[in-house]
Amino acid sequence: MTLERNAIKTAIRQKVIELANELGEDASDISDEDIIPATGALDSAAILALIVWFEGAYDFPLKQEEINIDNLGSINAMADFLLLRKGG
Amino acid sequence: MPYPLHAPRVNNNDDIVQVVELSVNEGDFVKGGDLVAAVETDKAIVEVEAERDGYVLKILPELDQKVAVGSVMIWLGESPDEAVPEETTTPVQSASAGAARPTAKARVMLKKLGLDENQIPTSGERLTVTDIEAYLAEQGTSTPTAPAPMPVQTREQTPDVPGEYQELSEEAHGMLVTVQWHRDQVAAGYLEVEYDPTPWEEYAAEYAQQNKLMLSPLLPLLAYRLVELTKQSPNINATVVNDRHYLYTPINLGFTVQADKTLYLTVVREAQSMSASEYIEALGEVQRHAIAHKLRPNEVTGATITFSSMARWRVSRHIPILPPYTGLMVAHAAPRGSGRAVLGASYDHRLLTGFDVAQVLQSLSQPPVDVYPC
Repeated sequence: MTLERNAIKTAIRQKVIELANELGEDASDISDEDIIPATGALDSAAILALIVWFEGAYDFPLKQEEINIDNLGSINAMADFLLLRKGG
Repeated sequence: MPYPLHAPRVNNNDDIVQVVELSVNEGDFVKGGDLVAAVETDKAIVEVEAERDGYVLKILPELDQKVAVGSVMIWLGESPDEAVPEETTTPVQSASAGAARPTAKARVMLKKLGLDENQIPTSGERLTVTDIEAYLAEQGTSTPTAPAPMPVQTREQTPDVPGEYQELSEEAHGMLVTVQWHRDQVAAGYLEVEYDPTPWEEYAAEYAQQNKLMLSPLLPLLAYRLVELTKQSPNINATVVNDRHYLYTPINLGFTVQADKTLYLTVVREAQSMSASEYIEALGEVQRHAIAHKLRPNEVTGATITFSSMARWRVSRHIPILPPYTGLMVAHAAPRGSGRAVLGASYDHRLLTGFDVAQVLQSLSQPPVDVYPC
């Protein structure tokens, strides 16, 4: 996966939409700033699946304590945190 | 004294695993935590680590061989020239080779408990009742595992309606074995209480906000509350072995995780010594391993009491099957939009009364008065 910011955000958004669809929810209008857990589109198990996908897609193993709203709460936050850690 | 490394259970439904990696050779020195092998099922790969320092004395399976969960894969020793017990060097998959012939009494006990004689170490030339009791005690204190597959009762007559037989997958057979353990070994009871979910939801929301959590801590907090209640009522953290109650020392809390089509019973060990935040972190770690199908052996074995939720699937009730060697499984359901939630429990009536279980569920339905500290 490319480490270009917009491409990262697009990939995350697609994954959020895909996981929401599996729950019968429509997340197509999610914005980059929306707090993902607060949207209600994904339940805890789906957010967990999103995180595991994120780790695998970008070869980006996370420590448990890093999994919080500040680092991963929104599409923007996820992209920023990835680029910060990867030095992008 | 030689020390065995056993084939780990990868998930609750598979009793057979395939050796896909052997990272060491006989004669090598390994340190505790070193990767020595990897096994897989259709759903996941699990790495096998050395549990202590030692020399690799004997590697039993060959690469790609399928072995039974719990069978010895590798013998370690303190010196490279220690002798490995002769009878253990036979291939682990052979059904009877190397196994000591059980005594008559032992055979009766094996049948009663649904155990396989091949999985039980012997102290002499014959497998005795004492050997079986020692094995059961060891399983109960450390890593209770599913009993060996019991023979599946087949219909004597094919139904008159046209159809065809289909062989069971390993996963399906594993589930069948678990269900049969529940059916044959447990005096199963079930009861449930309805409760107003609002106090728990508010409690979890406050906890999440204070800790800036990504995932709702509602279910982990419910599970942790069960740990606290278990500390107050140790009799629910137990099983029945050989007509006696066996109270576990640690609280190894099993928590079901559905990962794709695989249902795992993940385990957080020694939960009694954890704070709420430590438990939530530990469970989160295990859940991520489950979703990625990379669970470690100690994350899928040794459950002493268990918790399951099907709230995600909007069911109003589910009656869980008791995992082998557990006496209580709490089942949470919360039909969306109904304004109510349900806590049910399957329990072993040989161990617990309905009164015992009702008290636990009533207490569990209310969050603690104080919010757990961060």
